Amino acid sequence: MQRRSIRRSVVCWLVLLPLIALVLFPFALMLSTAFKSASEVLQYPPRWIPAHIDWGTFGAMWQAAGFGTAVLNSLAISTLATALALTVSVPAAYALARLPFAAAPAYRRFLLVTQMLSPVLLVLGLFRMAAAVPFGDGTLVNTRLVVIVIYAAFNIAFAVWMLAAYFAAIPRDLEEAAWIDGCTKFRGAITVFLPLAIPAIAVTAIVTFVNEWNEFTVALTMLRSPEKQTITLRVVNLVAGRYTVDWNQVMAAALVATGPVALLFAWLQRYLVGGLTLGAVK
Amino acid sequence: MVSVPELPVALAKPARRMRPGRALLPRAAVPWLLIGPSLVLAILVIGYPFFEIVWLSLHDVSPFGIVRGFAGVANYARSLQDPVFLEATFRTFEWTVAVVGGTVVISLPVALVLNVDFHGRGIARVLVMLPWSISLAMAAIVWLWAFNGEFGMVNAILQQIGLIGQPVPWMARASTAFPVEIGVGILVSIPFTVTIFLGGLASIPGEVYEAARIDGAGLFAQFRWMTLPLLRPFVTIAVVLNMIYVFNSFPIIWVMTQGGPDNSTHILVTYLYMLAFRLGEPGLAAAVSVLMLAMILAATMVYLRIEEQSAA
Repeated sequence: MQRRSIRRSVVCWLVLLPLIALVLFPFALMLSTAFKSASEVLQYPPRWIPAHIDWGTFGAMWQAAGFGTAVLNSLAISTLATALALTVSVPAAYALARLPFAAAPAYRRFLLVTQMLSPVLLVLGLFRMAAAVPFGDGTLVNTRLVVIVIYAAFNIAFAVWMLAAYFAAIPRDLEEAAWIDGCTKFRGAITVFLPLAIPAIAVTAIVTFVNEWNEFTVALTMLRSPEKQTITLRVVNLVAGRYTVDWNQVMAAALVATGPVALLFAWLQRYLVGGLTLGAVK
Repeated sequence: MVSVPELPVALAKPARRMRPGRALLPRAAVPWLLIGPSLVLAILVIGYPFFEIVWLSLHDVSPFGIVRGFAGVANYARSLQDPVFLEATFRTFEWTVAVVGGTVVISLPVALVLNVDFHGRGIARVLVMLPWSISLAMAAIVWLWAFNGEFGMVNAILQQIGLIGQPVPWMARASTAFPVEIGVGILVSIPFTVTIFLGGLASIPGEVYEAARIDGAGLFAQFRWMTLPLLRPFVTIAVVLNMIYVFNSFPIIWVMTQGGPDNSTHILVTYLYMLAFRLGEPGLAAAVSVLMLAMILAATMVYLRIEEQSAA
């Protein structure tokens, strides 16, 4: 039995190997290039291991990309947008999971339609909406606020689907016991249901956060001044429309920007399989 | 499950009629209060721009966004006569079919393998899911560097194993750039698709296979006559969601070629962005948006209809 299991493992790994190599290739390339000096980057053929390790790339990149500010922008925008999205999605998901109401199927269909109307299809309308709202001494264009609100709105569908799937799996016996003990529905939801739902809310929050952290189109359209831009946008701007690109700096920036998120996701992924598919099927 | 919660609702109705003063909220209002905030936010941020675009598409709009008057279907007529639009439409079709098709064809065996119990499966799952965590724009940048014509690692590897004689300028022409973009599109779509399939495989009870084994079904027969039919609804979901996402996918092509060289890698979203924010054609861009929405709605409906008929 043990023997067969080892043979089976080898076969499985061999089947997955080409895909895993392709998945790891970008990370290996980021690592390899980020530690090269500017002159070694422009050598052909390139070597995987740099001739000498150049730590200076990270400092130069930090300056060129305004990395600190950009990371703070990304953090602030993604955190606030996640908070806003969850504030409106948690009650909605509770309604879908616990209170059968006539409009529920129509509401689910509405959510699907919001997924079809992607930000990039609506980008011109979003821009004109932002330009029409006065804010400070200008409009909402080139503000982080409008990006936060747009991110939150476009993440509602996903968050509600995922939360509703998790919520439906939380047994209702405890809440019912609380009602019998004279607890109101509202207090039951807050004191009994909510603590049980916290893991589900946390997982949904992290996935929403990563979606927002990685978003590109809306940020590209709305955030004009460099000091307001997110890290994804800043890294793209190190490449887009330039005649000479410092690839070692670009890869260093990409590595620092994606590494933590990749680790977070790796740790989280086992929670994803259940919640996502339940949400998609229902 | 369904009948249990209906009971208290039914009981509450006559009670409320008897003591109207006690009910702070009519019971029917509670779900609306709960979904209300999400509805308001979504309608405001997604609904308003939608109507703005429909309205713009019917008007003559200056490059600076000033509406000069009603234009009827002139914007639509112009876009339908625009050769770049027609080419981009055809290329979007190629892009969507190739990326979604390639993704499903690769994800299915990967999910089947990941569903088998083997040493290190946890690590394998994490590795397969990893591209999900990376921004599309960032993945596009790294692959752009990998396929760099002068110093790229891909050329170096291909030259080393003797597949090419000299470095290939991959991104300089559409015939090589577009397939590279499709490949990146497939790679980043695999994790989500595998996740859906794994969820589907987890929902198939093990006894089904045991019964089949006892009846003498081989591995292939089990896959062909049991796994595949039971997985079918999940394949449908994966195709529909991927179709929507891939059709609307902007960052890969925008970052890698910006639709160039010479408009030869535009898909509709990149062309739309170019019209709206680079070429100063808001009216035309709005018309393209509306046409795209019609296309994706039609494609989704047609696909679901075909699925329904062949499943019946």
